[in-house]
Amino acid sequence: MELGKRDPVTGRTTTGHEWNGIEELDTPVPRVVLFFLSAAALFCVVYWILMPAWPLGWTYTKGLLGRSDRAAVTQAVEDAAAERGVWTDRVASLDYAEIQADPALMRSVKETGRTLFADNCAVCHGTEGTGGPGFPNLSAKAWLWGGSPDQIAETIRVGINAENADTRSSQMLAFGRDGILTRPQVNDVVAYVRSLSGLEPGAGSTPERIAAGREVFAANCVACHGDAGKGNREVGAPDLTDANWLYGSDVQSVFNTVHGGRQGHMPHWQNRLSPVDVKILALYVQSLGAKTP
Amino acid sequence: MVAGLTKGERQLSLAVLTLLALCGLAFAAVGSDDPIGTHGFIILLVSIGLACVVIAGYYAPEPDKAQLSRYYDDPTRAGIVLAMAWAVFGLFFGVWVAALLAWPELTFDAAWSSFGRIRPVHTTGVIFGFGGNALIATSLHVLQRTTRARLPDQFSPWFVLIGYNLFCVLAVSGYFMGLTQSKEYAEAEWYADIWLVIVWVVYFLIYIRTLQRRKEPHIYVANWYYMAFILVVAILHIVNNLAVPVSFGHAKSYSLFSGVQDAMTQWWYGHNAVAFFLTAGFLGMMYYYLPKRAGRPIFSYRLSIISFWGIVFMYMWAGSHHLHYTALPQWVQTLGMTFSVILLVPSWASAGNALATLNGAWGKVRDDATLRFMMVAAVFYGLSTFEGSFMAIRAVNSLSHYTDWTIGHVHAGALGWVAMISFGSIYALVPWMWKRERMYSSKLIEVHFWLALSGTVVYVFAMWNSGIIQGLMWRTYNESGTLAYSFVDSLVAMHPYYIARTFGGLLFLLGALVGCYNIWMTIRQAGGRVVLQNAPDVDEPALAPTALQAGE
Amino acid sequence: MPNFHRKLERSAIGFVLAIIVVSSIGGFVEIAPLFTIDETVEKAPDMRVYTPLELAGRNIYIREGCYACHSQMIRTLRDEVERYGPYSLAVESQYDHPMLWGSKRTGPDLARVGGKYSDAWQVAHLRNPRDVVPVSVMPAYRWLEDNTLRTEDLGLHLKAMSRVGVPYTQAMIDNATNDAYGQANPDSNYAAGVTERYGEATNIRAFDGEPGRVTEMDALVAYLQVLGKLTNAATAANVAIKE
Ligand code: HEC
Ligand code: HEC
Ligand code: HEC
Ligand code: HEM
Ligand code: HEM
Ligand SMILES: [Ca+2]
Ligand SMILES: [Ca+2]
Ligand SMILES: [Cu+2]
Repeated sequence: MELGKRDPVTGRTTTGHEWNGIEELDTPVPRVVLFFLSAAALFCVVYWILMPAWPLGWTYTKGLLGRSDRAAVTQAVEDAAAERGVWTDRVASLDYAEIQADPALMRSVKETGRTLFADNCAVCHGTEGTGGPGFPNLSAKAWLWGGSPDQIAETIRVGINAENADTRSSQMLAFGRDGILTRPQVNDVVAYVRSLSGLEPGAGSTPERIAAGREVFAANCVACHGDAGKGNREVGAPDLTDANWLYGSDVQSVFNTVHGGRQGHMPHWQNRLSPVDVKILALYVQSLGAKTP
Repeated sequence: MVAGLTKGERQLSLAVLTLLALCGLAFAAVGSDDPIGTHGFIILLVSIGLACVVIAGYYAPEPDKAQLSRYYDDPTRAGIVLAMAWAVFGLFFGVWVAALLAWPELTFDAAWSSFGRIRPVHTTGVIFGFGGNALIATSLHVLQRTTRARLPDQFSPWFVLIGYNLFCVLAVSGYFMGLTQSKEYAEAEWYADIWLVIVWVVYFLIYIRTLQRRKEPHIYVANWYYMAFILVVAILHIVNNLAVPVSFGHAKSYSLFSGVQDAMTQWWYGHNAVAFFLTAGFLGMMYYYLPKRAGRPIFSYRLSIISFWGIVFMYMWAGSHHLHYTALPQWVQTLGMTFSVILLVPSWASAGNALATLNGAWGKVRDDATLRFMMVAAVFYGLSTFEGSFMAIRAVNSLSHYTDWTIGHVHAGALGWVAMISFGSIYALVPWMWKRERMYSSKLIEVHFWLALSGTVVYVFAMWNSGIIQGLMWRTYNESGTLAYSFVDSLVAMHPYYIARTFGGLLFLLGALVGCYNIWMTIRQAGGRVVLQNAPDVDEPALAPTALQAGE
Repeated sequence: MPNFHRKLERSAIGFVLAIIVVSSIGGFVEIAPLFTIDETVEKAPDMRVYTPLELAGRNIYIREGCYACHSQMIRTLRDEVERYGPYSLAVESQYDHPMLWGSKRTGPDLARVGGKYSDAWQVAHLRNPRDVVPVSVMPAYRWLEDNTLRTEDLGLHLKAMSRVGVPYTQAMIDNATNDAYGQANPDSNYAAGVTERYGEATNIRAFDGEPGRVTEMDALVAYLQVLGKLTNAATAANVAIKE
């Protein structure tokens, strides 16, 4: 092997080649590199022996430890569920009043409910449960289907107009579009409905019109919304006399509702959440907007 | 540009451009109701434009013998300018993309400007536009200097450079129109992919033909890396982009593989795009410009050998670390993790070899921002490879994957290593190429250096923080044993870091603009002043017969 | 070693060959067995293919770069299973050319988002995410509602998919355009054919709330609503997870 000249800084010789002025020293590979190379290789070999590692055509080496991510995560989830059992078992077995009477248990319920609600429900109902256009405000206590924890849990389990066999079904007919009412009739009943909750009358909302609307309402709407427009929880028909509006209270929105109908869709959670989770959410939803936490 | 070509090459150029124009015309015709038609027009326009340039210079005198015996650097000069232009373009889109995650309304409410479309514009702009042009430009320079041979002809380097930039333009304009294969770093559609294969084969031929004609007995380390870069990227690109187009009139294609096989192929590609595009190529760059600028011999030839073959062999196993805990069989994950861990050794060997080369030149590092760019690049190279090997450990990856930690790692490598080594090399190269004694302003290099360094540090720290917070929030449990935070909770927590990252990116972009100005002024002065013949660091001409060295 | 290497580095061709050989090993050992080891992809006899409308929606998902922010791969980790549902199986993306597992979660995982929300919510959210989720950083995709879906060439798309191995029948390919229309128009004559060819469980709805016109919104929502629903294999494999 040819030798080059000696480098004054390091005292090493060069390899004797030069590329446009660049030279290389013949420094041996530092020990530490070889050491780490061997250490890393040793680690690899041990790891390969213990874990699934090498393919063998139609199968692969399974590793001495027989580990599998899938089994491990299933186990981890089961173990965690068992650990949570201390309180979730009680949530499962106690009835709602008993759970609510237990502050320690309620703390776990709310803690858990908050994340469950935020990850599953908040996109529609809002982080605080206040809803938005087309999505009901759950903190206002103006329930469509009833506000007892049982009723709420059932709504969550089966959904509304959902793909569940037991789903709650509701429909506000398209009175205008389907030709059940004429356009003036729709305008009349809109004026009337808006007067029920004492809203500022819209343009053209004369007393005569409201009176005419009362007639239309009595003939077409009471079946669902009740004589006084107080709603009906059997069919999910909202109370039209309060200040809560699912689809907005301005003339145009109410007109759209009566003209084109509504059929809100709330997904069902039976296949996605466990019965305990549903129970926790029912309690959490009921606690939304409550004065005391 | 045309003046450097021989008559035959001018004719060849026109023939190739005619073919290209015909392809463009065909696409424009069959794809009248498909985005491929727009691309047809782009191809048509580019080829007609270039043909005009060739025709305009067609009757210019041919290069004489003396010119043809000197190194051929025109493509390198053009490549440097293109690299800097793409840098500004890509970094600008990086800053925009970053800003969108802090202020999502900062867009034109138009399809082309939405996050999902301009994110690949950023990645392709910086990696392929900036990085690729820097690699082509420097490789052609380094190749000639270290073989003491001229490029085999004048036509093919232009074909590679322009063809490659046409690919980048097709890719980027495609993303704006929503054309993407969704394979990260390989998003361009089938016809652009095929075009790149052609360009790449010519690139390889330039390399191998020049090497065959070299007057140095040994092939220098920089060329090992550039060659690995060219060869392996070709293999990766071809396999990962196998796809069946809907029809020849459709831009859209369906990838040949699906599901788990597609995922493994994609990340075998994706990881090694990092390894051979963003690492091997730039190591080639480092192995030439760093010792050259420092005026020091490479610390250890033997270490170079170990790290080179270690990198070429081991990187190719590591891709599955992008798929830990997924539906990819666990045995592949094991291999990906173990090879990633052992990969640290050759990686640090390269970084160490570079830094130890600076022994005896630390004074220069202190005074010379150009060399400091390269030194800091080597440090960030060491840092990001350490981080990468760490993140490849399954337990660590279970936290880092899907989070901004990955983004932080990417940019430690991309800003700290890839961009810094490129800027350093370009600052060294520009005065040589334009025959100036030095850059227009060394103060401005200093300014650029500090902007780049502080931008990188701000970016990387912001993403480390946000990534780790994000990863932890996703898996934190409360006392009841249930998830403590919702996804949206973590989103809210990211906001301040996204603002910080945008700021860091802005600094980095400013630095690049300063660099452009400095380079521009250097070039302009070269035009106006007497060309320097014999400055000490002008590494030219070296083809003179006296420089021939006897074989061993 | 240095002496051997000194020889090697004097031969350009030798060096090229050495690089090709040394670099090819890893990929070959890791990728080839994924085609030969049977258990790599689980068996799922109930697995169905995407309908033409869903496939078109998937292409819009790709076009808009949703994969840049959303993963479709629930990892085998406790927190992911508890947040997003059963971990993803390989078979679930068997017909995904290309796969969309993703590498960054700027937004939540979408592997099981099918059926989680209503069509109306999906539309409202895509129109402007900040209308329904005020802190969202997701872009608004208002143009999806305005753009009529290009359906006349869906047969070619299905054909290309069948070339790469997805079991589309000739009837599916021939009826692709009509099926896309029928799936978004439950009251039309074309709806029945969709059920016939793709199964009872297929969603047939006016996804964007507006029957009559098939928009890109229809397609994208149809696709989102089928994510995680092509097969029940994952739920079956994860049964032990249910409390
Ligand atoms: C895709 C949107 C959406 C999601 C997600 C959603 N909901 Fe609803 N929810 C609705 C709509 C819409 C209604 C009202 C249906 C109607 O118009 O009759 C509703 C109604 C309800 C009601 C009945 C309110 C009443 O007045 O009786 C309850 C309780 C409820 N949701 C709770 C939840 C919970 C708990 C979750 C999460 C597990 C959830 N929702 C998720 C859309 C949604
Ligand atoms: C078949 C039962 C039914 C009949 C008849 C009916 N409604 Fe309704 N209505 C509903 C249901 C159910 C809803 C809630 C729809 C939803 O939540 O999606 C509703 C909602 C409404 C709302 C929206 C309330 C809000 O909070 O935004 C208005 C206004 C209304 N109905 C008015 C009328 C008027 C006026 C008539 C008669 C012309 C009428 N309804 C007849 C069932 C009915
Ligand atoms: C800039 C990143 C970004 C892009 C691009 C993006 N998203 Fe999102 N996405 C988010 C974020 C953040 C959320 C969570 C907040 C929210 O619900 O808006 C989200 C939420 C969602 C959700 C609700 C998921 C859940 O379980 O709550 C769906 C569905 C969705 N996106 C679909 C899409 C589709 C389809 C596209 C492309 C057309 C897309 N996203 C593009 C960031 C993005
Ligand atoms: C001005 C400086 C830059 C800024 C502000 C910036 C910003 C960004 C942003 C915001 C993203 C998207 C991250 C996400 O989806 O969460 C990104 C991705 C990326 N950037 Fe940059 N970037 C910059 C420079 C660069 C450079 C110089 C390179 C390469 C040479 C680069 C390579 C990449 C890559 C590879 C990704 C994709 C990462 C992944 O998918 O994991 N960036 N960048
Ligand atoms: C020893 C060297 C390296 C190893 C082992 C390594 C490992 C990793 C790992 C584990 C990830 C995260 C994968 C995930 O969880 O999704 C990653 C991502 C990434 N790394 Fe590295 N890395 C190395 C060096 C580098 C360098 C030098 C760069 C230069 C820019 C780089 C660029 C990237 C990019 C762009 C990604 C993002 C890929 C994506 O889009 O998801 N890496 N790397
Ligand atoms: Ca491609
Ligand atoms: Ca990525
Ligand atoms: Cu990687």
